[in-house]
Amino acid sequence: MHDISDIERRGLPAVFVASIEFSTAADAQAEALGFEPARVYTEHPIQDRTDEEIRVIAEKAYAELTDALTS
Amino acid sequence: MDPTALPDGLVAFVKRDCPTCTMIEPVLRELDVAGRLSRVYTQDDPAFPDVGSRADDTDLAASWHHRIDVVPTLMSVVDGVVVDRIVGWSRDLWAGLSGIDALGLEAGIPDFQAGCGSLSVDPDRVAELEVRFGDGVASRRVEVASAEDPIEATYDRGWSDGLPLVPPTPQRVNRMLGGTTRRRGEVVAVVPPNLVPCSVEKVAINAVMAGCRPEYLPVVLTAVEAACTDEFNMHGLVATTMPVGPVVLVNGPIRRAIGMNTGVNVLGQGNRANSTIGRALQLVIRNVGGGQPGGVDQATHGNPGKVGFCFAEDEEGSPWESYAAQQGFGPEQSTVTLFAGEGPRCVVDQLSRDPDQLARSLAVNLVATTHPKLAKAFDAILVFSPEHAARFAEAGWSKQHLHDRLLEYTTRPGTEIVQGANGIAEGIAPELAGTEVPKFRPDGGLMIVHAGGRAGLFSAIIGGWINGDLGSRPVTREIIA
Amino acid sequence: MSSTLLDPTAELTPVGRQRRERLDGLDGRIVGLLDISKPRGDVFLDRVQELLEHDGATVRRYAKPTFSKPAPVDLRQEIATTCDAVIEALAD
Repeated sequence: MHDISDIERRGLPAVFVASIEFSTAADAQAEALGFEPARVYTEHPIQDRTDEEIRVIAEKAYAELTDALTS
Repeated sequence: MDPTALPDGLVAFVKRDCPTCTMIEPVLRELDVAGRLSRVYTQDDPAFPDVGSRADDTDLAASWHHRIDVVPTLMSVVDGVVVDRIVGWSRDLWAGLSGIDALGLEAGIPDFQAGCGSLSVDPDRVAELEVRFGDGVASRRVEVASAEDPIEATYDRGWSDGLPLVPPTPQRVNRMLGGTTRRRGEVVAVVPPNLVPCSVEKVAINAVMAGCRPEYLPVVLTAVEAACTDEFNMHGLVATTMPVGPVVLVNGPIRRAIGMNTGVNVLGQGNRANSTIGRALQLVIRNVGGGQPGGVDQATHGNPGKVGFCFAEDEEGSPWESYAAQQGFGPEQSTVTLFAGEGPRCVVDQLSRDPDQLARSLAVNLVATTHPKLAKAFDAILVFSPEHAARFAEAGWSKQHLHDRLLEYTTRPGTEIVQGANGIAEGIAPELAGTEVPKFRPDGGLMIVHAGGRAGLFSAIIGGWINGDLGSRPVTREIIA
Repeated sequence: MSSTLLDPTAELTPVGRQRRERLDGLDGRIVGLLDISKPRGDVFLDRVQELLEHDGATVRRYAKPTFSKPAPVDLRQEIATTCDAVIEALAD
């Protein structure tokens, strides 16, 4: 989240992707930083899935990602 | 307990850290035993004094609300209203209020003794109390998050002109407001480009951010007023592509009172008042008015003075009347003059000894502002150094005489400066070819001031933006409060 | 420690730190994909890259040396001077 905060400071719209498991931590970080970046959450877990499963997760997240970057 | 509600009867305010209050503890006990003491508020030690009707006012809510300046204070309350008040200890006066004579006589207490300062007026506490109990803060509060650096927070919210800002905490703003007698809610000006009504409080917040001291605030307030007049045309000044910004000239006793620089490096850095007053004005334009680079401000190059450009005239060392005196102000009055100007350029003349020579020398430099072949549409400030001014003083030239010579020497035949002349497309309109064309309008287009270090055969020219109805006119305003 | 500031502005915009303005579309834009280097994040970003390229964007791939620290400053500078927008993934 620090990276996103810094990249936005440098002028670029950005979005942060995390699994839903991470959402509480992400919210806490955002509150502490005083900045609410765009975020997209995927299902959890990620790390023990097959490539195909992860590709499907990416496809499901894609619409939200493009929404988060465009107005 | 509602700090504003007082019980009927006698109410006292004390603090242990006061020799008079501790001395009269027996008196308070006497009154308490006689059933005459309805309440005693203690400002510091909740265990003092040793009476049943004691109340804890360590948060100073009651003392603040009832404007206690001195302890001990004894008040008489009837139907919830304070009808009488005594500050300090006096046997006679306390007898009058309580109906009990000879208070404290047995304990050997003297007839009278002055009190001490109430904690609710302690300079170290007042700023925090004002914030806590409210003093009509109208501006929105912005919470800085726990992991946010307050200085970075001001950058992140777009408030900065690029340099660090002093975070405008409510305490700092309250201290700043102490520099003016104006009420915080008073509207000072309507600020362009967004035409936003701007309160004294908003100016104070930006003045804090700029790094001003409270005693500079009257200068900043007056500068904001002057800048936002139709005559000065701040809106046009923000929106122009020319490199100009508001230049603030200060005259009168306030210069010395607040420690402004009129000498060495007067147009440069290093003096807090010079550097922060101009900055505060620009921050108001930016933050309240919405005039920001990249937004309404599309200046091609701008200039470093757009961070802030404020200086004071050296009146004491000047051979002439000050700029403010020329505008009709008296020596007891302090003024700001707003001028729409670019950064200064230097005129080097180390050889002219004769005043007429020096005037001609300055004139060839003056005609070069904006472009040598342009005339009439732009004003300028000529800042004389002491050494250059001395040339004229020695010869007995008055300011008026100098001004008239300069206007004369900056007047040229139209043929030389019309568009196309000398193979240069730029210039004045061809119709003016047959005339003698002055560079400056005669009614105040060339402002003469005196400032700078005592060594240096240089003067400075501050070129102006467009004058007249389409542009800006210099505006002078008295600094009142 | 958190603190309170008074707003110096005309208060016409929300008080919190705002996000940067979004792009008006993806076609023809350069989108940076920043892998935080947790396992399998690259597979996720590979698929996102395909989809972005299909939508007309140019994609640049970046990776942090480690997920446990903020990205090094020269990486952030490179991204900021090269890309129009950034997706950082995938924190799990």
